[in-house]
Amino acid sequence: MKMKKFINRPENIVAELLEGFALSHQDKIRLVGNNLVARAVPKAKGKVGVVTLGGSGHEPGLSGFVGEGMLDVSVPGEIFAAPGAPRCLEAIRLADYGAGVLFIVLNHAGDVLSANLTMEMAKRAGLNVKMTLTHEDISGGPNPDDRRGLVGFLPVYKVAGAAAEEGQPFDACFEIAERMGRNMRTLAVAVETATHPSTGQPIFELPDDEMEIGMGQHGEAGTGRMKLKAADETAEIMLNMLLSDLDVKAGEELLVIVNGAGATTLMELFILFRRVDQILKAKEIKLARAKVGEFITTQEQAGFQLMIARMDQELIRLWDAPSNAPYFVVR
Amino acid sequence: MSECITKDDFRRMVAGAAAEIRLNHLMLGELDCAAGDGDHGATMLRAVEKLEKAFALDGTDDLKICLSAAGWSVLGVDGGASSSLLGVFFGGMADAGSNDLTDMFEAGLAAVRKQTKAQPGDKTMMDALVPAIIALRRAANAGKSLEEALYDAAASARAGAEATRNLQARYGRAKFLGAKTLGVPDPGATSISLLFEGFYNGLTSSKGEPTNA
Repeated sequence: MKMKKFINRPENIVAELLEGFALSHQDKIRLVGNNLVARAVPKAKGKVGVVTLGGSGHEPGLSGFVGEGMLDVSVPGEIFAAPGAPRCLEAIRLADYGAGVLFIVLNHAGDVLSANLTMEMAKRAGLNVKMTLTHEDISGGPNPDDRRGLVGFLPVYKVAGAAAEEGQPFDACFEIAERMGRNMRTLAVAVETATHPSTGQPIFELPDDEMEIGMGQHGEAGTGRMKLKAADETAEIMLNMLLSDLDVKAGEELLVIVNGAGATTLMELFILFRRVDQILKAKEIKLARAKVGEFITTQEQAGFQLMIARMDQELIRLWDAPSNAPYFVVR
Repeated sequence: MSECITKDDFRRMVAGAAAEIRLNHLMLGELDCAAGDGDHGATMLRAVEKLEKAFALDGTDDLKICLSAAGWSVLGVDGGASSSLLGVFFGGMADAGSNDLTDMFEAGLAAVRKQTKAQPGDKTMMDALVPAIIALRRAANAGKSLEEALYDAAASARAGAEATRNLQARYGRAKFLGAKTLGVPDPGATSISLLFEGFYNGLTSSKGEPTNA
């Protein structure tokens, strides 16, 4: 099938999307240096900086979350490909306000490689940086190294960004990010593939009547290919796997995120979320907070990610704190 | 035997490698479509362009300085794991204790090994890179000339890359595709084999433009 996308020259996609993104949010963000996305008004000196990196083509992830109360700088890579260490190092220098820089990295091979190289260079340069890895995709199996970082980046950006904004010390910001990371789990499901916008190639193939639970951000195969199911049954299968993996008990408080992959409608996401809420109520698990929408997409891929996170009072307070990030405004 | 090389030798090797990648980038993209997202050819094109630029810079004849600059600029290709590891490889060569080609390539491999746990057999670039460098060392120990050593290295890289056809990916993004990766050679290993092919072509070409012969 021929790709139908409103693009110009494939090699200009990233530069052009960043230009448009920055122009449409001039009051909040700007492009700095080598296409780094930074806050229009930098954070005050003496506060912890928060930086992330990741491939492009997943909008509004990840740069849509740069703003007061969340990220200071994001380093966008090429389409579905991690940026290299030189630009990450540049971002860390930019976000260094004298109190340390928290570097939030999603667990994908290319991102981790760049991040490790960046950390080596930053240490040699005498910069005060700590890296926190998000790896909450339970489809990777029990080994945390095999668990990818999916939409769980969102609560980590939010709570760590809020802690940094209110002036918490470096160690505390790092601990908050790690605590959030340890207490979250995500599972993705895909029903339709996406095309790579530069190459025009489908990123995976899936028969018309099947879905795949555990699909990664870029169409990496999961473990659960099965016949397409209705919303309620799909939500139930996925939520039960997540609750069991996180070992959630009655009475505990959860944050739930339903993230659309790009082509799955809000209509469907709400129908799915409704079922999630019913199951939680039946199990006497409290829904502390919820977010339904598109936070990280993969072009026109159809499917969604379901994330749950065990919350404590401090994490809830930081989740509720103000943010002016273009795609995560909290007043 | 020890074979010291100059910036100009390496510049010709890089030009040969760039020619090979330019000739084959569409094929690399197609290989990558089988287990990745099809952008490997484009990434490699950007990487060899940066390599060529680093060696075209006037102002220094110091090979190590050029290799450091080349490594840094390939890291900046922003093409995920492949460009990062290639950048580490060329940058790491600058840390060798001598200008002996085999020492330098071994130093590059050692730097790559610090960044990835992938081993030959995991269906990655290591399946071509490791045998190529073992072949270089073996040829050097046997007293072969630099040209002969690179010929052996290219042959070993090619055999290593071709053998990845029968392997299942165990590393990087493709590992999640499991058995679906069987039957298609790894694009990263194939790129390494093209680079070594090109190194040999470039070094053995007359001191002018490299040929693709």
